[in-house]
Amino acid sequence: MTDTDTDANNDVRTDGSGTGIVAPDDEVPSWSERKERTTGLSRLTYEYFERARREDQDLRQESSYVERDVLGFPAWPHETIRNIALASFFVGMLLFLAALLPPTIEDPANPSETPSVILPDWYLYWSFGLLHLESLNPELALAGGEKIMSDQLYGVLANGVVFGAIAILPFLNKGSARRPVEEPFWASIGVGGVIFAFTLSLLPIEAMFPWDVHITFDMAFFLPVIGAIITYAVLKTMREGYMYNLNKRYYRLRPPR
Amino acid sequence: MSLERKDEHDHGAWLAEKDLSLIEKSYLMMLIWFDRRLRLVDYLELLEDMYYKINLQMPKSHTEQYNLDNKFWYWYPLYALGSFSLLAYIVAALSGALLGFYYSPSTAGETPVAYQTVEAIMADLNFGFMLRSIHRWAAQVMVAAVFLHMLRVYFTGAYKEPREVNWLLGVVLLALTVLFGYTGYLLPWNQLAFWAGQIGVEMAISVPIVGEWTANLLFGGLSLGQPTLQRMYILHVFVLPFVVTALIALHIGIVWMQGIAEPH
Repeated sequence: MTDTDTDANNDVRTDGSGTGIVAPDDEVPSWSERKERTTGLSRLTYEYFERARREDQDLRQESSYVERDVLGFPAWPHETIRNIALASFFVGMLLFLAALLPPTIEDPANPSETPSVILPDWYLYWSFGLLHLESLNPELALAGGEKIMSDQLYGVLANGVVFGAIAILPFLNKGSARRPVEEPFWASIGVGGVIFAFTLSLLPIEAMFPWDVHITFDMAFFLPVIGAIITYAVLKTMREGYMYNLNKRYYRLRPPR
Repeated sequence: MSLERKDEHDHGAWLAEKDLSLIEKSYLMMLIWFDRRLRLVDYLELLEDMYYKINLQMPKSHTEQYNLDNKFWYWYPLYALGSFSLLAYIVAALSGALLGFYYSPSTAGETPVAYQTVEAIMADLNFGFMLRSIHRWAAQVMVAAVFLHMLRVYFTGAYKEPREVNWLLGVVLLALTVLFGYTGYLLPWNQLAFWAGQIGVEMAISVPIVGEWTANLLFGGLSLGQPTLQRMYILHVFVLPFVVTALIALHIGIVWMQGIAEPH
């Protein structure tokens, strides 16, 4: 072997970028070495995943949490049989309901005859109710008492606000609490929201009630707040007992003075 | 004694040293012939593997081993309520596919053709009344189950930290489910459909700048007619089924990956 040959061999790239197939030897970098050599975003990604894996491993070793020996139920036969039973029962109930309460079909569409009550299907009542909040649409003193936006647009935006509020929920409520008693505030917000959906549904038909329409409108906003306050109070009270049960053993261990 | 190694795969010699009856011999010959061509052994191995995986030797009865009678988690999928909306969705999809054979989205005529076809399904078609009933109730139940599922997720805090993406996906699915229902009950083109469609058009038009464009895109114009029904039909039977099915698969896939959020 001559010197020129060894020089030529030193120039050979062994990272797979060359033209020929090079037999692996000790100088061929491993995959982790290649990853360590990368720069920029890929380097950052690699480092983050290495750190995250390390963190997971450390947490698992430090934790006093005892892993269950059975992590789940076997798909066969337990879950399969249970799922088939639940699905059959549920579909059976659905067919029973369909046979018991058949649907009707009203009059055909007639643009020249407006029905006395216009309503969408039941699950859109709350949304339709939001379209009836025109009296909350503020009038601007600057514009001579005119409204900045049309009442319809106001109702459409209200729908967007409701969906937006629901969507950002997990970014507002952090923490690991999983029970309503642990977070009376958020539970009461939820109950208030549910009641609000019902009371909103009454707004499109408020003229059908034998009392003044303003009463229905006011109730649409007062009832959810009242419901939320009651929920908050009940859960706070329950929380005392809940915490007492959790701490009972602790209190009993203290010697009485 | 020969120095030559014995051929392990010499089936002929193996057969010769055995004392087999004619039936056994012909059976084996046939088995070898088929195995040479179809590699039956591989499939037998798969079957055997499956057999032992299914029929695991249990030291106790299943209920005892997994302590099912005092384990709440076993029934958790019932409590999570999401599976009910999936089941109702499947029932609605199947019954809807059948209804699609008999329905025609047309507003032509004194009595709209769409209305006539729905009437024909209910009056003339064998099992048609039940079919429409099933489809309608499956849709109603699906919307109800989605609302209940959402309440359950809210009140047990299942939307919290590592599951934000699935909550957002769920909000999108809620909107799409409602849209599914809306496009669906517009199809019979009866009074409810027409005036609910009217509400939709007016909502779309009220939005500044993009309102008229949206109304034209979704409802095919600023007043209701054949284009509206056509678009609602396409949305209901072509666009939404694919989009919603894909998103439900993703939703359930994420639940599978992250695990059901258990209250603790």
